[in-house]
Amino acid sequence: MAAPIDRTSTLFWRVIAGAFVFFLLSPLLLVVLFSFTDRGISAFPIEGLSIQWWVAMIEHRQFASALTNSLIISGAVALISAAVGTMAAIGLARLPPRYANIGIAALCLPLMLPPLVLAVALLSAYVAAGMKLGLLTVILAHLLFTQPFVILVVYARMVTFDHAVVESARDLGASPLKAFFTVTLPIIRPTVIGAALIAAALSLDDFIITFFNIGGGNTLPTFVWGFIRTGLRPTVNAIGTTILVMTVGATIIALWLTRYRG
Amino acid sequence: MLVAPSAGLYGVLFIAPFLYFVIISFWDVKNYQLTPDLSGDNYVETFDRYAGIFFFTIEMAFVIALLTTVLGFVYAYIARFKAGKWGTALLLIALVTLFGGYLMKIYAWKTILGNEGVLNSALLTLGIVAQPLTALLYSPGAVVVTLVHFLLPFAILPIYASLRGLDDVSLEAARDLGAPPWRILAGIVIPQCKAGLIAAFTFCFLLPVGDYVTPLLVGGKVVMIGNMVATQFGKSFNWPLGAAMAVSILVCAFVIVVVMNWAMSRWRPR
Repeated sequence: MAAPIDRTSTLFWRVIAGAFVFFLLSPLLLVVLFSFTDRGISAFPIEGLSIQWWVAMIEHRQFASALTNSLIISGAVALISAAVGTMAAIGLARLPPRYANIGIAALCLPLMLPPLVLAVALLSAYVAAGMKLGLLTVILAHLLFTQPFVILVVYARMVTFDHAVVESARDLGASPLKAFFTVTLPIIRPTVIGAALIAAALSLDDFIITFFNIGGGNTLPTFVWGFIRTGLRPTVNAIGTTILVMTVGATIIALWLTRYRG
Repeated sequence: MLVAPSAGLYGVLFIAPFLYFVIISFWDVKNYQLTPDLSGDNYVETFDRYAGIFFFTIEMAFVIALLTTVLGFVYAYIARFKAGKWGTALLLIALVTLFGGYLMKIYAWKTILGNEGVLNSALLTLGIVAQPLTALLYSPGAVVVTLVHFLLPFAILPIYASLRGLDDVSLEAARDLGAPPWRILAGIVIPQCKAGLIAAFTFCFLLPVGDYVTPLLVGGKVVMIGNMVATQFGKSFNWPLGAAMAVSILVCAFVIVVVMNWAMSRWRPR
């Protein structure tokens, strides 16, 4: 008796799960698909495939500088937040878990604020401090919301870290710094690289904070913003697909490196 | 010592700017210059002229957070208990859609819901409607769907993490003792993943409260408080008023979140 009920119920859950996956993924797949349309609008029907919108994107006079700025910012953010975040995670892992958790919760607070609030608060502070808006102000702003992710990921790794290996290196006369670079870092390297890639993906995708704090100039998201407001042009899809490929690519590599599973 | 650089960045880039931001919300603008002052005028104006937008924003964020949390729970529940070996794949899809595509997700909904959009052309081709449905895009509903889509991965992950700690033995025991599925759900599953549900709701409420890009792109005439804040920091150049609006909405949102957290932690389903 139980078998047929089970089968209908399995089918039921499959249909629901399928609907969810469709809801999550189909909008992103449409963005990619429409970047290859040969019509002048991102809409069905697609009569034929073409790479003209990709060519239009690459030939746009602001594309190269937007791409370069995006790479500079996300590269710097990845490196700095990986270094600073890893140090903090190792420091926090030495504390009793109770205090460590309080510290982590405090450092994660910026993630709880809407990006717009962070963006305008930072903008007013930069102006008050007389800092010229540019790539540096954007990099600093991004560190605020990328370092919590690095800390969370690396801290989770440090909790299961076997400290005996570091202690034996220290007993054999290695300085703390030498023990870190020859023992600790090689062990946690995949996790740190993964965390850096997540930081890069977050930085690359950010629009709101960048928009308010870059002054002149563009990154890929602020560049695509100029197109989005004026209609459904497939150039948007080409630029958007570029951003998506970079962020999703970085995320997939990061997940594989950190073996993060929820 | 090792935490120092991180804490330094946090102090200089978060605590200090945020305090300054709260301070300028009491300032004034004279001749396009920020002028120190100690007046509550900006707050009066926020609740006087913008009260409608203010409470509409809270309402929208509440609906979005509730919907996203419920959907996130269903997704996490399927991934944990119903999908078998596909559970990991469902989790990976949520993770991959988490870190990227903010602008592109919003833009995608514009191409889906518009007059010439994917949904309308599908409905026309299938003969379900004779004229494109114009109300799909540029409506509060469009803002809700778009933000639910954007936030869903953020809701799934904390709920999934809290469901993972739930051991199958107690579920099987309840089932063997003849508990109906809804009793298992209400008596064991939901109480166990409360922390995840609370985290999901909190995040999915606080983010839309300050969003302005979604209403701008898919909302049409829909205006949320974020749009007003962005305008004050853009062409209107009234930073003190913008700061007062942002501080007000944050305080209001945090109060709601604290009350919700308290209510959820007190709640004992039977």
